[in-house]
Amino acid sequence: MGMGGGGGTDKAVSDINVTPLIDVLLVLLIIFMVIVPLVPKGLNTLIPQPPKDKSAPPADTTIVVSITSNKGGLPGYKINEDDFAKSALEPKLAEIFSTRQGADKTMFVKGDADLDYRSVAEVIDMGHQADVDNIGLITPRVAAGQ
Amino acid sequence: MGINKREEGKKVNSNINVTPMVDVMLVLLIIFMVITPMLNNKVNVELPVAQAATIQEDANKEDSVQVAVTRDGKTYLGSDQVNVDDLGAKVAQKLEGKPEGQKQVYMRADVRSNYGKVMDAVDQIRAAGVSQLVLLTEKKEE
Repeated sequence: MGMGGGGGTDKAVSDINVTPLIDVLLVLLIIFMVIVPLVPKGLNTLIPQPPKDKSAPPADTTIVVSITSNKGGLPGYKINEDDFAKSALEPKLAEIFSTRQGADKTMFVKGDADLDYRSVAEVIDMGHQADVDNIGLITPRVAAGQ
Repeated sequence: MGINKREEGKKVNSNINVTPMVDVMLVLLIIFMVITPMLNNKVNVELPVAQAATIQEDANKEDSVQVAVTRDGKTYLGSDQVNVDDLGAKVAQKLEGKPEGQKQVYMRADVRSNYGKVMDAVDQIRAAGVSQLVLLTEKKEE
């Protein structure tokens, strides 16, 4: 009894105390769990450069998806000249591109300037889901052929 | 000797052992010191969500060229705000010396940004001779 009593005869504890180590490792684990979803992801697109041979006519099989803004209303969608509802767009694209091979798996996306970027990104996403390999963005200068 | 002393008479140690807590706090401090500069070099935009997004391994590399368009129509190259009209020249300068096939630009545009502004930036990137553009998005979980 009393204070410690010198302690020299007590058995020394020879186990390593792992509790702080486990604390630190758990925190590291949590940190990395938070960081992993930050791996960047994206949609590949192409920007057509001006053609060297300006006289070459565009191919008949070209697919252009146009998005119109309807002056602030819900955006309208067209494949070439035909109107489609947003929900019908992806099945139609999948149908068109299911039979195509290689360089024919190309579509262009053209959007009005007063649209939100969201609507255009959705259409590009649909294109990738329909297994289109090359998606080109048509900008004012591309359209003007500069 | 040989028999453990009974402890009942000893005074209870009423101090909280703060050593593990300090360990954890120090690790957190170090982690945040490392992460903060990584977060700051990105322009804060809300990326669109896409199901077909693929992993872009190179987008976070030091030499990748990132163009951002924010909701209020400002254009950034890396973390510096630039005038849209100067973007083309600056992108071309950054990509100087890269082989033709590897000229790639990453676009971080806000979901609610105006597509006209995005197209202006794309036009400038195109003028820099870039034909591969990657639109960075979030991946939609299935």
